[in-house]
Formats: sequence, structure tokens, C-alpha cells
Amino acid sequence: MEKRENRGIKDKSLSLLLSIILVFSILGVVVFSVARQISAEMSASAVSNLSESLDLIKCTIEAIMKKEAEYQKLMAQELVVIQDPEEFIRRYENNQSMAKISLILEGEEEGISNTGDRFSEAELDFSSGATVDGLPISKSYLNYMGTWAYTMKCPVVKDGREIGVLYIEYIYDSFDKSLPNGFYNGKAMLYIMDANSERLVLKPKGMGERSAGHVNLKDFYRANNILEEELLKEVSKSLKQGKNILFYHDIRGKSSLNYMWSVNGGMIYLIGFVPIEAIQQEGRTVNQNIFIVVFVMLVAFFLCCLLYYLNHRQQNLLRKEQEEEREIYNKQLAEALQAAQMANNSKTMFLSNMSHDIRTPMNAVLGFTILLARDAENPDKVREYTKKIMASGQHLLSLINDILDVSKIESGKVVLNIEEFTLNDLVSSVDAIIRPMSKVKDQHFQVEVTGVKHENLMGDVTRINQILINLLSNAVKYTPEKGNIWFRIIGLKQRSNQYEHLRIEVEDDGYGMTPQFLTTVFDAFTRAENSTTNKVQGTGLGMAITKNIVELMGGTIDVSSEVNKGTIFKVDLEFRIPEGQADKKFWENSGISRILAVDSDPEFCENIQTLMGDMGVWVDKAFSVKEAMDHIQTRQKDGDGYHVVLMDWDMPEIDGIRTAEKIRAIMPETAPIFLFTSHDIEGMDEVHSEENIGILAKPFFVSALKERIMELQEKNGEKGRTEAETDNSLEGLRFLAAEDNEINAEILEEILEMEGAAFEVVENGKMALERFKEAAPGEFDAILMDVQMPVMNGYEATKAIRAMEREDAGKIPIIAMTANAFAEDEKEALEAGMNVHVAKPIDIELLKKVIRQCVRN
Amino acid sequence: MEKNRRWKALTWSAACLMTAVTTALAGCESRPRLDKDLIISEETNEKVVNMFSPMEKTDPDASNVARTASDLTVLMAEEKLGVTVAYRTYTAEDYQDKTYDDVTLDRVRNNMDDLYLMNPDTIQILGSEGRLLDLSELESAKNLREVVKTANTVDGKLVAIPQEVVANGLFVNKDLFDQYNLNLPETPEDFLECCRVFQENGFETPVGANRWWLENFVFAQAYADLYNGGNTQKEIDALNRGESKYSDYMRPGFEFLQEMIDKGYIDAKAAYVSEAIDGEGPDFLAQKTPIVMAYWGAANAETAYGKTDFDLQVIGFPSSRGQMPVVSMTGFGIGAEAEHLEDAKSTLDIMLSDEALLIYTETNKVISPSENVEVDCIPALKPLNEKIKENVYVLGSNAGMKVEQWGNTCLIVRKLLNGATVEECLAEFDRLQEESLEK
Repeated sequence: MEKRENRGIKDKSLSLLLSIILVFSILGVVVFSVARQISAEMSASAVSNLSESLDLIKCTIEAIMKKEAEYQKLMAQELVVIQDPEEFIRRYENNQSMAKISLILEGEEEGISNTGDRFSEAELDFSSGATVDGLPISKSYLNYMGTWAYTMKCPVVKDGREIGVLYIEYIYDSFDKSLPNGFYNGKAMLYIMDANSERLVLKPKGMGERSAGHVNLKDFYRANNILEEELLKEVSKSLKQGKNILFYHDIRGKSSLNYMWSVNGGMIYLIGFVPIEAIQQEGRTVNQNIFIVVFVMLVAFFLCCLLYYLNHRQQNLLRKEQEEEREIYNKQLAEALQAAQMANNSKTMFLSNMSHDIRTPMNAVLGFTILLARDAENPDKVREYTKKIMASGQHLLSLINDILDVSKIESGKVVLNIEEFTLNDLVSSVDAIIRPMSKVKDQHFQVEVTGVKHENLMGDVTRINQILINLLSNAVKYTPEKGNIWFRIIGLKQRSNQYEHLRIEVEDDGYGMTPQFLTTVFDAFTRAENSTTNKVQGTGLGMAITKNIVELMGGTIDVSSEVNKGTIFKVDLEFRIPEGQADKKFWENSGISRILAVDSDPEFCENIQTLMGDMGVWVDKAFSVKEAMDHIQTRQKDGDGYHVVLMDWDMPEIDGIRTAEKIRAIMPETAPIFLFTSHDIEGMDEVHSEENIGILAKPFFVSALKERIMELQEKNGEKGRTEAETDNSLEGLRFLAAEDNEINAEILEEILEMEGAAFEVVENGKMALERFKEAAPGEFDAILMDVQMPVMNGYEATKAIRAMEREDAGKIPIIAMTANAFAEDEKEALEAGMNVHVAKPIDIELLKKVIRQCVRN
Repeated sequence: MEKNRRWKALTWSAACLMTAVTTALAGCESRPRLDKDLIISEETNEKVVNMFSPMEKTDPDASNVARTASDLTVLMAEEKLGVTVAYRTYTAEDYQDKTYDDVTLDRVRNNMDDLYLMNPDTIQILGSEGRLLDLSELESAKNLREVVKTANTVDGKLVAIPQEVVANGLFVNKDLFDQYNLNLPETPEDFLECCRVFQENGFETPVGANRWWLENFVFAQAYADLYNGGNTQKEIDALNRGESKYSDYMRPGFEFLQEMIDKGYIDAKAAYVSEAIDGEGPDFLAQKTPIVMAYWGAANAETAYGKTDFDLQVIGFPSSRGQMPVVSMTGFGIGAEAEHLEDAKSTLDIMLSDEALLIYTETNKVISPSENVEVDCIPALKPLNEKIKENVYVLGSNAGMKVEQWGNTCLIVRKLLNGATVEECLAEFDRLQEESLEK
């Protein structure tokens, strides 16, 4: 079928080509015929023009000669009446045409001339019998002036009797001025030939080329290579008969039209030639123009064809592109449909999961509430039920938080709250959350920090925490008991001096994921296992949230996993380094300039050396206790002992505390000794009892060390104050609380009463503002402010309070207690003038701590 | 998107091209406007200079280098001055016709033309008649060699200036000389010996001659000592005063020619009616005649001996002082009463300028009359050129001599050819000398 179609196309193309060739052939034939016809017509016309021109010249010459003859006759008549004709002749002056006037009187052999010479007819040859207007004319001759001339004789008749003969010599040069100046633009050649002698007697000025035959007819033939005998015979015959002749013959390589034009009955001849190209100049010009027009038309035609072809090709390409695009759209549509269906399925599944996940804790809450009502008298039961209700409530809360987070991220409303943080705090807080979780499952949780150059960084620490907790809690979730979890922070090569480039790795040797699941691990509403068949709880949103946050921070997240072998997540992030990073002053002020790092791991020691080096602190490394002792002793002897010793708890030779004691024995008590440990170890209490010996969690952070040193310094200076400070009790404090929701107000009242605090609850911001106005300075220790309230919200109320001209208006702590739990809500609260933001539902411990801090400050 | 843009650009280009073509064609329309259909033919005020010069009979298959060279200088003048130089020529059909010189005399005397190319004798005659303009005021005259000025000064007027210094010499077929183991002749005796050998070897007439140039033999022998003996001016003065006789100087040359005629080395009858090159040229080229005589330029001109099938050498004429070039000059003169006198002067000044003479000399490979122009000659001319460079030559014409040399000697040689005796010929010189003394 396709072959037949191809053959059809080929046949069509061939016929089209043949048709075009046919059309062009016809056009060519027509143009050629027209050109030839024009050429022939123009040629005939040119020949006719040449004949006319020659006739004109002939007539001019004949007219001149006739006038000469007429004048001569008149002069002869004049001589009759003149008394002394000879004297008349002698005195006659020559003019341009008459070169010599002579008179021979009847009966005399010689006469006189106006030149003064004697004159005899014997010098002239009248044998040809040629006449002009009846007067005999002589053969041409070279006269006394060195130019060609002829003489006409006229009898002088008086009373019917010839009394003498008047001879007048005329020069051919006189014709020159009467002939046209130039002939066929100077391309033609014209001579005047005396037919009798065949001498060329005149070449009129401007009549053709300079170098040509010029002596006689024979020389003309020779010069122009006219040697064909037959032709010469014909020409000779015609000349004798006084006929006009035209014949074609090449002259000096140019095809020419030769002519011999009889004047005065063949007495003299106009001879010469005109190159055909000169004759046909007009015809050639017309033909050239025709060819130019045809050529231009052909060019235009081919240009049109080309344009058409290009247009056609362009259209085809466009069509092809459109088809391809349509196919791509169709494919994308199909994919989108499939994705939509999958999403729909996912959502359906999610809703189903959510339904289950929400109903489960809700069921527990409701169920235990019923049980609580029933067993209200039994304090143990009540405690147990409330604990379980609390757990279920918290689980519900986390579910809601996740769902809200996803919807917020997906709608692009997340704003990063960039602030300065230390890696130490980050790691500590994460460690504090994850380590207990891993402990429950008896997992081994290891934290490693290597190659980090800067600890103080700029970033949204809450979100980073979220990422880390998501990843690590997943690792805990999906790793069986006694499994291992590694949390690594690795400093990568900086791309810019202003940014610290970190890689966060979370690795486990847990269940792992299938390759299929790996492709959707970061999609929302997916979970490694269906929660209805698996005990692992979760919304399936954690990884989607994590990925979105990482990307929001301009980072990348990557995962590789193998079923039953484990999973590793790698997060690459860049954090801006805040200005004034190096806190050298603290170390100088503390008098710490030399530290000894003791650890069997050289990399760990190296890390300490790098970080402390930036602080201007010299670090010596020792990889064994013995080496450490040597270093200390040597330094002691030299009088420049170490100011701090950092050593690993788990040294191979002896345990940390013993080593510390040994070191302490040779070091002054003022020099702190810190023991590094990566987990809770027995004997820690013993350490705490020792003077100036402290514990530091691995990994090493400068800030952690600084904090510990500060603590030690404080401890040494302000003993006894510690106990009071750790007390978070709200007893004796008085609060103004603004809360529109009755239940929430009731819960708050219960909590505050429970804590022994006095309080006053108002229903909205306006009332809080008015109440505060009325209150005496110091009446309230703090204001607990809900945000979303009727009449006046919490922000407005706070702003109004802060704007009041009371001494305590700017000082009184205002604590936001709101269900608006996002970072930007917290930011807005702080901007409104609130001191701190506590999210609902209220965590009583957190609330107590926050209040204490605010009030104490 | 990109393709679309290219396609649009192409379409626009095509449209612009078509518009341009249409506009151009419309602009080319040559039909006169209706309000401008009155065409006034203005008379062209053309400046014309009539130049009378000879022209040899034309050979359609050869180009005349000498003529081409002269034409180039004429073209230069036409271009620079905007004049038209109208050629007027005369060539005698045969020996019975008036000669070019006769016609020149007639035309100059009747003011027929403006510029004339003249032979030395004509220059002398017309100069002494006062019919030629003094050209010494021309800018180009300042560059002339002294010898050129001397040869063309009549009664203190520089009446003609040549475009080339014409050195006449013997044109010999060196191959034939080598074939018969002959050295190139130095003296008249050498020459006669060579002729004898050639004649014995079948060359019936070893010397090709015409009615014009046999006089060179006479000049070479007559004036070899006069021009090369160190007493030139004294000897000329003596001749002009009649203290010494031209006939005495001429005798050896005429006797030599007579011997040549007597021994059949020259065909006197043929020579008497032969025109230059026309008569003897074909036989020389066909290697039937080993020796001819001609002017320098003939060795370059295809119309003469510029293309030979043998080794051509040009040497001086035999004399007691060895080979002797005979130098003569055809010069351009202006009629004293020429119709277009000023234009003729300007034209001639350009034609004789160093720039024009350089073109002439390079084209024609001749000796320039300007002391500022010099070019290499062709190998055949080297022997002759060497002699001239050594200042070894005789003048064929000298306006300082009161008896015109070139024309008179030519005519007297013709008489010899026509059967006159040597004594009759020499008597003619005595007569001429007496006539000059009477003036």
C-alpha cells in the first residue's frame, strides 16, 4: 500500500517536472523565435538604413559636384563678356573647393592658371568620358597641393562659337565638410574611390579606424583580407557597370557588411564596411533586453518556486511539530489523568487512613473519658486514664499538625524564619528527642559531626529541627529493636566563604524500602506500609513535608535504601555564616589559650584542633593516656601548662574518671577537665561531684565547651543560687488572662489554680486592655493573651498595652497562647510586642517554664 | 519559533528584493518626459588637429609596432587635451607616383595640415623656406639630446623633433653567414668578399635593395672619418665654405656601389623601382637574400623584420672605421601658418613629453630622442646599439650642412641606379655645393 502511494507520488512529481520542462521549452522556443525575428527585421532595417545613409552621402556629393559644374558654366558665360578673360583668371583667387582655375583659349595649346603657372590639358586625363551636368570630368590626380583633385572643363562659347575652355580643379577634401561627422559611431569605414584609377582619394574625417587600407582598391582588399577571386570578379564587374554593391565579409575578424556605392554614374565610389555588430546594435540591444526580461522573470519564477517550496516545507514542519506537540499533550493528559486517578486513590486511601488514624485516638479519648466518668473515685484509675487520654490527644495533635503543614507548604505559604543558631543547640535538641525514643527500642543511636568549620549559622532552626526529627523519628520507627541509627553532620567544601555547606546523613539498618516505594517516598499521602495492616503510626506526610522544606531552603534530599538492609537519607544544605563568628574574646578573657585533646580517634582530635584554632586556642593532641600525661608534665615543667583538658571517657587503657583523677593530680585544680561521652554512662554522678571536672556530649562543639566553661565559672562563683532557679512553680504570681473560649478559659483556670497562682480572666482583648488600665502597677505579674478574640484580638490589645504611658506597660510580660501555631504566627506575635508565643493545646510544663523565665527577667 | 522568524525574514527579504528590482527598472525608463520633448542639438565645438603622416601598405595579419607606439602617444595627447587628431596619409602606389616627401612639401607649402611627420631632407628644405614653426619653446624640447637638436636645427630654429632616433643598419641573416663560414663584414672589402661568397653559393643578388636606403652605404664610407675623427665641425665648416668638396667625401661610397652593381650584388633596376621593404623584404624573409638594409624599428615591427625564421643581426654599414650605423631622424613639425596652430603645439608637446616617449620607446624598443628615456633593446639590435653607445656613427642628415644630405644623396644614388656614372653623380654634388654657396 505504502509502496503504491510512493509510486503515485513519484509519478506525480515526474509529470510535474515534465510539464515544467515542456512549458519552459515552449517559452524558450517562443523567446528564441521572437529574438530571431526581431534580429532579422532589425538587420533588414539596418541594411536599409545603411543604404539610405549611403544614398544620402552620394546625393550630397553629387549635389556638390553639380553645383560646381553649374558655377563653372556661369563662370564660362561670364568670361564671354569680360574683355580680358586671361587677366580675369590670373586675378581669380582660390577658394575652399576650387584649387586652380585655368583657361586655354581657342587655337592655343597652353593656357594660364590663377596660380600663375602655364597650363596644358595634357596634364589631365579626360578619357573616361565621365561628365557632371554635361561637363567632362578628369581622372583624379594628386595636385600641386599634395591632395587628390579632379578637374572639370567647360567650353567658353560666344555667339555659338567656342572661344576657349575653362578648367577648374576641385579638391576632394572639400567634400569632407559636407559629409556627416562619423558613421555608425565611428565603427564604420568610408573611403571615396576614383573608379577609374581605383585610388582612394578621400577618407572623410571620423569615418572609421585609423589603420586600414588607404592606397587603392587593391590595398583595401589586402588590408581587409578580401581575397576570394569569385567575389572580386563580381565586385569588379559591378564596379564597371556603375552598380551599387553590398556584400558580407569578415573584416579583421569581425563579420561586416561591405559596400561600394556608385556616385555620379560610377565615376567615383563610396567604399567601406560596417561591422554587423554596429548595424545590429539596436536589434542586439532589444534582444539583450528581451533576454534580461526573460531572465528576470525566470529568476522571479524560481524565487517564487523557492518561496513556495520553503513555505510548504515550513508548513509541513509546523504541522509535524503540532502533531508531535499534540501527541505530547495527549501523553501528558493521559499521564495527568493517571496521576489524578492515582492522587484520587491516594487521597481516598489517605482519607481512609486518616479516618482510621483519627478515629483510633479519638476512640481512645472518648472511651477513656467514659471510663474516667465511671471510675472518677479511683485516683489510680483516673491517673491512668488521663495519661492515656493525654497520649491519644498528643497523637491526634501531631496528625493535625502534619496535615496543616502539608496544606500550607503545598499552597506556598511557608515563610522561613531565618535566625542565628548553633549546631550544638540543634544537635542537642534533636538528641534530646530522639535518644529517648531510640532507647525505648533499645537502638544504638550515634551522633557524629565532622569537618564543620562554623558552628554558629543562620537558618530556620525550627524547620531544620523538623527535617531532622522527621528523618530520625522515621529511622527509629522503621528500625527494629537493637538496631543502629547514625546521625551525621558533615562539613562539605564551601562553595562560598559566606556559606557553610553541610551534609546531614541519617542512616539506619532497619527495614529499608522497596525500589518501587523509593520512587514515591517523597510524595504526599504515601506510607511504606498501609497503616491499617501495620502498627507503625503516621500520616504519610512526613517525607513530603521534609522534601518541601529542604527545597524551600535551597537544598537537596536524596535517599537510597535496600529492603532489610537499611536506609540512608542525605540532605545537602547551605547556611549563611553570621558576621562576627569567631568569639575569640571569650577565650582570651577566660585565659584559655592552650588545650590538650586526648582521644584515641585522631579525626576527633583533628576536629577539636580545627575548631579551636579558629578561636585562637592552641590544641595539642594525645592519642593515649600516657601521651597525655607526658604532654601535661612537659608543659607543667616549662611553666606553660594547659588551661583545659578534653578527653574521651572511653579511653582504651583506663576509664575516664580515673584518668581525670590522674591528670588532676598533676594539674592545678583551676584547669577544667572535660570528659567526652556519646551516651549516658554509669559513674557520671561521681564526675559531677569532682571539682572542675565536667561532662561534654560528643560531638565536640566550641559553643558547648564555652557553655560548660561558663557554667563552671558560674558554679564556682555563685554556688547556692542554683536550687532556687530551677524552681518553675507559679505560686504567688498573679495573671491577667484574655480568653474568649469558655472551655479553654476553664482549663486555664484549672491549671493556674493547680499551680497556686492567682488570676483574672476576661473575654476579649478590649476587656484585657481596660482591666490593665485599671490595675495598679505590679498588680499582675504577666498577661496571658489569646490571639483570635472578638471585639479586639490579642495583637491589637498587646499593641495598645505597649502603647500606654504606664511605667509597666512596656515591661509586663505578655504571653501569646494561641491555636495559631505557625512560625509566622509566632513572628507576628513577637512583632506585636508579645514576649513569647506558646501554642495551644497548652503544655503545662512548657507554659510554666516560659512564665517563670519571663517573670524572672 | 526560530524557524518562523527566519521564514518571515526570508519573505521580507524577497519582497524587498522585488521592490528594489521594480524600482530600479522603473528608474531605468528612458522615455523622455512629455514636457521635455523638445531636443536641441547643440553643435559640438570639437578641437581637431590634422596630422599628415605616411602609412605603409597594410598587412592584415601583422601589427605595426612602430605605428602602435606612435598611436599611443597620439591617444595620450587626445585624452589629455580633449582634441581629435585626424590622420591624413599618403602612400605612393608605385615609383612613378609622387613620393611622400613630394606630397609633404606640397601640403606644407599649401597649409593643408597642422602636424607633419617628415623625412630629414624635407625638414631641411621646409625649414630653410621658413614654413615650419620653431619648436624650441615647447616644454618637451628641453629634454632632447644635443645630437637631435643639432640634426634638426635650421637657421637657428628647431624645426622638427623626432619620436625616435633612427639608426639605419645592415640586416643580415647570421645563419647564412655561419653556414658559409663568413664573419660579419667590417670594411667595404669584407663586404664585397661576403657578397662574392654568397653569389658563388647561389645567391644571385646577395644584397636586397630599394630606391631609398642604398645611400646609407655612401654615408658610412663618406663621413666615417668626418664624424669620428675629432674634427667634425671644422670639416663641416670647410664644406660649407666650399674649401672641401662633398664629392670627394662621396666618391668611395659611389665607387663601392658601382662595383656592387657591376658585380651584380645589387639589382639596380629592381632597386630603382622598389619601395622600402616592399621590394626586398619578402626575399630576405624567405632567406633568398642574406643582406638587406633598414632602419632600427624594422627589427621590431612585424610588418617588417620583427618575425624571422633565422638569426637576425643588425650591424653597421661597412667603412674604413669598421661597422658604422647611419643615424637619421624623421621628425614631427608644425606648419608655420597651420590652421590649428596652438592645438597642434599642445598636441606635439604631449606626444614628445618624456612620459609619451617612454611609452613609445618601450613599445617600439628604439633609441629615444629624450636624454631622460632609455630602454633595453632586443638582442638582434645589440651590435648596432653597442656602436651607438660608443658614439660611433655617422649622421645621415645634418641641418648644419648647407647641402641637404639625406634627400639629395638618395636622388643621386637613384641616378646611379638608373645608369648614371660615378663621375656624373659626383658632379651633381659639386653642382649642389655651388648652388648652396651662391645662396
